[in-house]
Amino acid sequence: MPVDTKRVRGPDESQSPLVFLPPTAQTCEVLRRPGDRGKGDVRPLFARCGLVSQAKGSAYIEAGNTKIMCSVYGPRETERKDDTDMKSGRLVCDVRLAPFSCQKRGAWIQGSEERDLSLALSESMQPGVCLHRYPRSQIEVNVMVLENDGGVLAHAVTCASMALADAGIEMYDVVLGCALRQDGDSCLVDPDFSEERGSWQAGYGENQGRVTVALLPNFNQVSGLHADGEMREDTLTAAVRTCMDGCHKLYPVVQQAILRAVKRKAPPPEK
Amino acid sequence: MSPMKLCVPGERLCSTEDCIPGAGTYLRHGYIFASLAGYVLRRNEGEELPVISVVKETEAQLLPDVGAIVTCKVTSINPRFAKVHILYVGSTPLKDRFRGTIRKEDVRATEKDKVETYKSFRPGDIVLAKVISLGDVQSNYLLTTAENELGVVVAHSEAGAQMVPISWCEMQCPRTHNKEFRKVARVQPEYLQA
Repeated sequence: MPVDTKRVRGPDESQSPLVFLPPTAQTCEVLRRPGDRGKGDVRPLFARCGLVSQAKGSAYIEAGNTKIMCSVYGPRETERKDDTDMKSGRLVCDVRLAPFSCQKRGAWIQGSEERDLSLALSESMQPGVCLHRYPRSQIEVNVMVLENDGGVLAHAVTCASMALADAGIEMYDVVLGCALRQDGDSCLVDPDFSEERGSWQAGYGENQGRVTVALLPNFNQVSGLHADGEMREDTLTAAVRTCMDGCHKLYPVVQQAILRAVKRKAPPPEK
Repeated sequence: MSPMKLCVPGERLCSTEDCIPGAGTYLRHGYIFASLAGYVLRRNEGEELPVISVVKETEAQLLPDVGAIVTCKVTSINPRFAKVHILYVGSTPLKDRFRGTIRKEDVRATEKDKVETYKSFRPGDIVLAKVISLGDVQSNYLLTTAENELGVVVAHSEAGAQMVPISWCEMQCPRTHNKEFRKVARVQPEYLQA
C-alpha cells in the first residue's frame, strides 16, 4: 500500500484550541468602536470612478479598511447559452476575494463564499439596470475585494453601481448597500470585520445576526436583503430600516464621485 | 453660458408636461428621470415641448438595431451563408465585435436562388450591410446586402492588392488585372474621398 512520506500530517483526531479557552468575563455594554463612531454611523467612504483604463467603467471604494475595486465590461455579445433572452440583456456578476484580503489566506480558485456573494450581488443589481435596452447582450461586472474589513457585500453593491454609472450603462437608479450587525439589543451599522464576526461566545446568545440591505435611494425600493442569524421579527424590521437610513447617508458621497468622474472625462458638450 | 447641469442615474429631471424624454432618460409616474450619469441637454426640436436628454462624452454604446447600416468584415463563407464580424454601427466603432450572418438569399435582390456566395464575398472583405433581424437564440444577427448601396466596399485580390470595382458584380486587381466576382456596393458620391 503506497505510503505518503512527503507530508507530515497531524494526529487524526484534533480539535481547535479555542474550544479549550476559559470563558472571558463578558461585559454586556458595547465596547467603544474604533474611530469614535456611534452605533448608527457609517464609516467615512472614499470613492473614485474611472481608475481601470482597460475596462469600460470602474470604481474603487474604501470604507475604513475595506477596499473594493470593480470593473465593468460590456455590453458584449452573449456566449450562446440556452437561456438567452432576446428581449433583454444579462448581468453577469463575479466577486473575487483576493487571497491576501482576509485574515486567513484564501485560494485564488473561487470558493463557496465568493459564489454566494456573486449571486447576492447579481440579485441586488438586476432591478437597478435597464436591461431591456441591451437585447442579446451581456454586461460583466467584476468585483475584486482587496481587503475585507467587514460589510463586503454592501460595499460591493455600492462599488458595482458606481462602476456601471461610470461605464455609461443605463440604470434606473444607483443601488447602494449597507450592512448591520445585531448584537443582543444593540445594533452596529457598517461593522468592521471583528464586529461582524463577534465573539465566539456571543454567537450562542439571542438576537444575534447580520443584515445587508441594497436600496434604490430615489425610489426608496429595496432590491436586495440578506440576513444571517437569529433575530426577532421587530428587531429585523428595525434593522432593515436602520440600514436604509445608512444607505441614504451614503448617497451624496456616491453622487459626488460619479459626477467628478464625468467632469474629468470630458468637458461639457457645446450647446 | 450657464454651467451645464450634471446628473446621476435616478435623478428626477422634470415632469412630462415640461419636456419630452430623449436619450438617456426614462419615464416613471409622470416624471422624467435620468438613466445615465452625464450632462443634461435640453433642446428645442421644433415640436411644442423641448427634448431633454442626458449625454456622456462617448457616444452611448450603440447596439446593432433592426434597420441600421453596419460595416462588417467577412470571416468565413459557406454555400448557404457568409459569417461576418460587425465592426461599425453607422459611423461609430464598436468596442466588442458582434457576429452576424448574411444568408444566400439576402445577398442580392434579384435572382436570389442563383447566388453563389463564393462569387459574392470572400473572407477578409469589408461589407456594408443592413440588419434585418436580431435573430433567435441560436443564430447571430441577420444581415442583408440586397440593395444597390450595400455590398463589398473593400476587397483584396488573390495577389494581395486592393481591388477596384468595375461593375456591380466584378472587381479588378490593379496589379495582375485579374477580374474577380464580388457583390459590389455602389457607394454614394458624397462618401468617396477624392
